[in-house]
Amino acid sequence: MKALAAGVAVAVLLALPAVLSGYALTIFILIFFYAYLAQAWNILGGYAGQLSAGHAAFVGIGGYTSALLFERGVTPWIGMFVGAALAAALGAVIGYLGFRFGLRGFYFVLLTVAFAEVCRILASNIEAVGGAIGLYITFTGDPRQFQFRDQRAYYYIALAFMLLATGVVALLERRRLGIYLTAIREDETACEALGVDTFKYKMLAMVVSSFLTGLAGTFYAFQNFSLQPGAVFGIPFSVEIIIRAIIGGAGTLPGPILGSFILTPLAELSRQYFGQSGLHGAHLVVYGALLVAVVLFLPQGAYPFLRRLLRRRAA
Amino acid sequence: MAVGLTLIFGVMRVVNFAHGDMMVWGMYLAFLLATRAGVDPYLSFVVCAAALFGLGVVVQRGLVDRIVDAPHEMQILLMLGVALVLENLALLAFGPEPARVRSPLVRLTWELGPLYVDVARLVTFAVAILLTLALWLFLFRTELGRLIRASADNHYGALVIGVDVRRIYATAFGVGAACVGAAGALVSPILPFQPVTGLSLSVTSFNIVIIGGMGSLVGAFIGGLLVSVAESLGAVFLTPSLKELFSFSLLILILLFRPAGLFGKRVP
Amino acid sequence: MSTRLTRRTFLTTAVAGAAVAGFPLPLRGQPRTFKIGAVHPVTGPLAEPGQACRLGAQMAVDAVNAAGGIKGKGGLRLELIVGDTQTKPENGRVEAERVVSQGAQMLLGSFDSGSTAAMVSVAQQRRVPFLVDIAAADPITANVAKSVREGQQKVQYVYRNFPTGSSFGRRAVQYFTEIFAEVKVTPKRVVLMYCNDLFGQSQSRGFLAAYKAARPAWTLLEDEVIAWPEPPSDLSTEVSKLKSLKPDVIAPITRPASAQLLLPEIRKQRVESLGIVGPGSPGLYEAGQLAALREDLEYVLTSVPWANFKNPKTNAVAEEYRKRSSGKTFDTNSGYSYDAIFVIADVLERAAKLDDPDAIVDALRKTNYTGGLMQYGGPVVFNEIGDNPNAIPTMIQILKQKPVAVWPKDAALEKFAFPRPKA
Repeated sequence: MKALAAGVAVAVLLALPAVLSGYALTIFILIFFYAYLAQAWNILGGYAGQLSAGHAAFVGIGGYTSALLFERGVTPWIGMFVGAALAAALGAVIGYLGFRFGLRGFYFVLLTVAFAEVCRILASNIEAVGGAIGLYITFTGDPRQFQFRDQRAYYYIALAFMLLATGVVALLERRRLGIYLTAIREDETACEALGVDTFKYKMLAMVVSSFLTGLAGTFYAFQNFSLQPGAVFGIPFSVEIIIRAIIGGAGTLPGPILGSFILTPLAELSRQYFGQSGLHGAHLVVYGALLVAVVLFLPQGAYPFLRRLLRRRAA
Repeated sequence: MAVGLTLIFGVMRVVNFAHGDMMVWGMYLAFLLATRAGVDPYLSFVVCAAALFGLGVVVQRGLVDRIVDAPHEMQILLMLGVALVLENLALLAFGPEPARVRSPLVRLTWELGPLYVDVARLVTFAVAILLTLALWLFLFRTELGRLIRASADNHYGALVIGVDVRRIYATAFGVGAACVGAAGALVSPILPFQPVTGLSLSVTSFNIVIIGGMGSLVGAFIGGLLVSVAESLGAVFLTPSLKELFSFSLLILILLFRPAGLFGKRVP
Repeated sequence: MSTRLTRRTFLTTAVAGAAVAGFPLPLRGQPRTFKIGAVHPVTGPLAEPGQACRLGAQMAVDAVNAAGGIKGKGGLRLELIVGDTQTKPENGRVEAERVVSQGAQMLLGSFDSGSTAAMVSVAQQRRVPFLVDIAAADPITANVAKSVREGQQKVQYVYRNFPTGSSFGRRAVQYFTEIFAEVKVTPKRVVLMYCNDLFGQSQSRGFLAAYKAARPAWTLLEDEVIAWPEPPSDLSTEVSKLKSLKPDVIAPITRPASAQLLLPEIRKQRVESLGIVGPGSPGLYEAGQLAALREDLEYVLTSVPWANFKNPKTNAVAEEYRKRSSGKTFDTNSGYSYDAIFVIADVLERAAKLDDPDAIVDALRKTNYTGGLMQYGGPVVFNEIGDNPNAIPTMIQILKQKPVAVWPKDAALEKFAFPRPKA
């Protein structure tokens, strides 16, 4: 049943570009992109329960690496893996420090924020990586350079990204690793008492999560054609990722996707409605108020709520 | 300003991302009082504190109360939502341009040998010390303060002995917000502000509170001093544009080696 | 609407909206209005200049329509479809796509260079002519010109009527040199200070590069440049550093927020100098800044894109702008966005046909427009990179609490006061 529904959904998404305008395509690309990021975050933040608010740093490292390599003639198709590897390395450092020194909850959040901020400050001050002006990528439209004239190409790549991350998480869920991670989230001390090497599993989650997030950096760079430290390393970007996962349902497989399907169009719609009217900022008030409402009334996230609703219908 | 955050956090364990935006509202209130009614911010901070106390109680009663038992991340998200609302209401109400409150004190400097002492900063500093003292007296020398600390230490214990925990929390949150409001008004002549200033204020306060120690008033105070000294040293010995690097590096070191902060008692 | 907004009506509206956006525009061949997508950051950290751009463009559209629209095309009227980037590059892309879906045949934008770069890719992908009203980063047009030159692209759709980072620097160094020569002083210790964000860094780099190239008689302390993170919370250390350098001339590049900290701090620490001459400080001249800084701003010189107030039309527009913006100065942002719409109107008059983007580009390249309200060094033209070499800044000075153009000489309304008169 579940597999059937997922299959139908994927088939619909594959067919959609045939009927969508460029704008609608762009929105879907954003939905997939953020769903992918939220899913990657979900491994660490949702399943393992280690709340990172610095995931933007991995996007930034991934994007900067492939953009700088591109300037030196290396295609982003290779650059994206180099960037992801560097992001994973940073992830390993943060994870090692955070987990070895036993930082939990808000303290771990702050550690990740501090690292992301350090990346942002360094990127704004090092002239070799563009400094505060950032990097600008020449648009060539050459697919060998990860650039496309046709929005549909970005659409399918973003979709593939999202499915890839979801596949990875689905695989994790079934393996011992997924079970251990959930157990760590629920009661870390008990896990340790049972002889589970919690450090190892948390590190694994961190590395996989930061690697996947780093891949997305290349997509971001070669879809927007510029990178600025404030935009890619900043706290607001990390927040965008977390919000989607948590609103959709952290620690569940469809949660991040659902979250992105809710929030991305919502941000768009509210910006359209109020942005035109000259009420500058009104849309963000609505966005904030909705966020508050979801937290208050659906604290588990939207997916668990939907599932309960469907079960009740079925019963 | 860190005094406000340490109280809210220490007592509530609510991670308050709206802290900076509350402070910005305190600044705009002082701005309104100064431009419309001609009240100097060094007097109007009392009004700002009272108004923010009200806002704090409303946020606590209406929102935070409902999810006190929910996981940490939900509280972070909730306050992010509140922060978004507050920031953009300020944008709607006051527009995006930077504002600053004028006070006659700001133009004064005293010359002490080779040093120039900025009177406005001196007054702000003095009032901050007085506020910290008052807060300390409130927490350690009044019945209500004792109850607040008790509820923070042991939520269920307080419930068992029949404390109205909800009321206590609302008061604590309100007092924390009031400190933030007062701080906002006090720095408004020194620090130019716009609606977007909130986020960086929140991050700075986190730094200060963590470095000084959660739940410790003295710590928050010393933390504030340490962060500014670290940044000045960074500005002098390296380039000023890298000075934030020093406070964040200090934060990382403190997190790793003394996560309870320099003056915190509890281990996380 | 009297009906309550239920979940169902909300959904149908949303779906209908999406469906409308999905359809190609049937009127593309014979438009009654010509739609221009104006994308600016009207919320977020750069909301202030973004809103100024939007209002400037809207006023220009109103003015063109009130004067009878595009006469050569049967009185075709202009229509603005506005977008908001929130200073996020990805929104630059989304909004550009949206306004194009809603029928925009040209793009205008977008103040911050990141979003502008994202819009460039949409313009090139979808073949929509794009006039950059404001954005100073050199690569925005240079990158496209390069890829056309190398044959990766056929046509360049992106043009810019605004000084680039490097041309800002060249002009500023030139003005410094001329002003110092005029009063026969040769400062030996000019100290450059800047806010370390996109704007400040590109201005300071341009200034330093131009200084190295020009090697003027005055001396910039190249190794003692002082930068601060923007927005700063305190600049006392920076100013102490400045004071220890014993500056002859202080050359700050500030944002409005940092100016409010820097100038009073310079006074408080009693840093003596011949004067403050900045290579670029947008917003310094706003009523709000003057009200907050008052005498600290008096005699400050800064090089910014400025409107040509010798032109009577400029004064009329500036007055209208003041009314519609509740008291703001007609400045860099509103002014360049205003001029951009008139450049577009001029292009539309001359274009062979309007349903072919390449015909519009042809007309754009041949632009020779002299009706601009800003201070230019000549007519609006576009060079091989797509930039207007005649887009120049003006040196202005705050005199008797009013911003006044003082250099170059033919733009000056008053004689500058430098060195700063002793009180």
